Amino acid sequence: MAPTAQPTILSPSELSYLYTSLSLNPPIRPDARSPTSFRPLVAETDLLPTANGSARLCFADGTEAIVGVKGEVERTGGVGKQIGIREDDVEMGGIEGEEGTGGAGGEDWWVEVTVDMPGQRDDDAMVVFLAQMIHEGLVADGGLRARLVINRRWHWRLYIDILLLSPPHTYPLPLLSLTAHLALLSTCLPAPVAGLEKDDDPIFNDDWDAAIPLYPSTPPSSKAKANLSAARPPITLLVISVGDNIFFDPSHAELAVADAVVAVTVASSPSSTDDLNLLAVRTIDPPSRLSSSAAEMGQAVEEGAWKPKKGGMSRTVLRKMVGMCVARGGVGEEVLGGLEGFT
Amino acid sequence: MPFTITAPAPPVPIAYNGPSDSDSADSEGDIDMGPPSKRARLSTKSIVTPGEIVTDDPQWMRGHGTYTSPLTSAILSSVSGTLQKTNKLLSIAPLRARYTPEIGDLVVGRIVEVQTKRWKVDLSAPLLAHLPLSAINLPGGILRKRTSTDELAIRSFFSEGDLLVAEVQSMYQDGAASLHTRSLKYGKLRNGVFLAVSGTGGGGGVVRARRQVWTVLTGNGGGEVDMVLGVNGYIWICKHSRGELVEGKGGAQVSIMRIEDVVGESMYSNRNDEIGPATRREIARLSGVVRALVERGVRVDEEMVMRGYEASLEGEETDYEYGEAGGENGEYLGGERGKRVVETALAAVHAARG
Repeated sequence: MAPTAQPTILSPSELSYLYTSLSLNPPIRPDARSPTSFRPLVAETDLLPTANGSARLCFADGTEAIVGVKGEVERTGGVGKQIGIREDDVEMGGIEGEEGTGGAGGEDWWVEVTVDMPGQRDDDAMVVFLAQMIHEGLVADGGLRARLVINRRWHWRLYIDILLLSPPHTYPLPLLSLTAHLALLSTCLPAPVAGLEKDDDPIFNDDWDAAIPLYPSTPPSSKAKANLSAARPPITLLVISVGDNIFFDPSHAELAVADAVVAVTVASSPSSTDDLNLLAVRTIDPPSRLSSSAAEMGQAVEEGAWKPKKGGMSRTVLRKMVGMCVARGGVGEEVLGGLEGFT
Repeated sequence: MPFTITAPAPPVPIAYNGPSDSDSADSEGDIDMGPPSKRARLSTKSIVTPGEIVTDDPQWMRGHGTYTSPLTSAILSSVSGTLQKTNKLLSIAPLRARYTPEIGDLVVGRIVEVQTKRWKVDLSAPLLAHLPLSAINLPGGILRKRTSTDELAIRSFFSEGDLLVAEVQSMYQDGAASLHTRSLKYGKLRNGVFLAVSGTGGGGGVVRARRQVWTVLTGNGGGEVDMVLGVNGYIWICKHSRGELVEGKGGAQVSIMRIEDVVGESMYSNRNDEIGPATRREIARLSGVVRALVERGVRVDEEMVMRGYEASLEGEETDYEYGEAGGENGEYLGGERGKRVVETALAAVHAARG
């Protein structure tokens, strides 16, 4: 279970009211949204002049984040020590073959994600976890790291710096993930003019206008490699369940009464008829467990009062959640389409 | 549309729409009589920033939001906001400020700390307010003296996170407020939702008004809903329950002889009443109206909320007629729809004033 933001203090009657409203059929959200609708977002891209790509995104509750993406050319063989460790890991884990080290696949650590939140230490559990979760999503399908390969000896190293501008009122994962997505969509890397052959040193075109986008809006059909499975960076959505109802883009108050909080990472699939690719599902400790009413969980439930649910989440709810995210025409596709249409 | 994303809007020109924004004639009928020849070096910009010299003419007096430096006679701004002149008094109305408590304000607060003889209450003011145990209605009679038993059972009245509506009784030297709930219209809040918007001080938000608490007869079979607008910008919207929380009504319905029955343990209960889905939907709609008003920087008071609510009801009907996205998303007052509702409400207010 992942750590959450500071526990929310709401009065018992507020919690009870919220929980009952949200578990009705059809549910009534405090702001009268439908379960799958998002609050309107405000975004802009390419705002940082010295970064390869950047984006700013504001949520309707006033939380705001800026992401800058910077690229650096790095020698693939040059960090031999790290490679050595990686190889050991691979051998021990036995998950991946040797091809990852210098070939077409790329390495997970070529993408580095850092999260900065105001008032939080760099090594705060939540900051580290958020960065790790976003990193995990970005490298999970191998699409991004494969794009970073220049030739056998050189590769791009991508630094994704995420800065949360506002204090974390709600769990900021979807905000950070969507902002990182927009920034990656706007990222351009200098176009190579020579040295794409196996071992040559690459030479780049210094004309910024000629730079190639990391994620081209129309995938070049002739050069498309088979292993570039996702044409878009993945996104992570925060989904909560209250009773049998499932809600997207939960507000602060809705998170406080959630039975289960799940972060679902999805990426677009290569064919347009399939469902989206599901990359990761993570449960997040619901804030309700940390509230004062959770301390009295063992006691008899007073009528009209609300107590946090005991135990885990049901499989049917989890299946429904994931289904809503990945289904064709579902929420995940809607969000991906909306983000793509914006840039 | 469930997912919308827009580019940031260009900054809007700031127009202060407070009660005395017009220089020519404000509420007292004062006319800005500063002779133009003598009014030298007055800031001509609409907004002043902290540290900016407002004027160095010694004829002006400094008011709220300004300071003077000991070396010169210049008046400097201590906040960023709009300049206001009342005769020879210069004051600056901040664009955004925390709530400053004043005696007699009706406020909604949240308990953040329980001490031995008092509670600390968050009012979104710079300092936490105090609510002494002696300033609440104790169960078993309004005029009972507090005892050590009450002190031990302090958490049975209010504990951390509880919401209450109270009145500012007095102010401490440091600017902290002291509250009281010694009236039947004050006390613990139940059966509704809480909403925090900006309070008195900024351009929009809750303003001090004639009525801060009133009952709305909602449409769509929602029944009666109470609105409590705390001057500090905290808002409570709840189902109307008989004889409570309505100014004038509570006192009239409950005679002094029956006060013991009313101020029973039930007054501090955390239990909600039965609230039907229709009422919940209308409560959500009302909170949507308030949010939409705040988003557009419009003041929040009884008139605007009621006009906005009417507009949102009308808007829904037209949405259904055209058969657009209304269906499942018809009640959400964010984005474009909220803008339409606020515009309709503003037009209605202007029309009513003639």
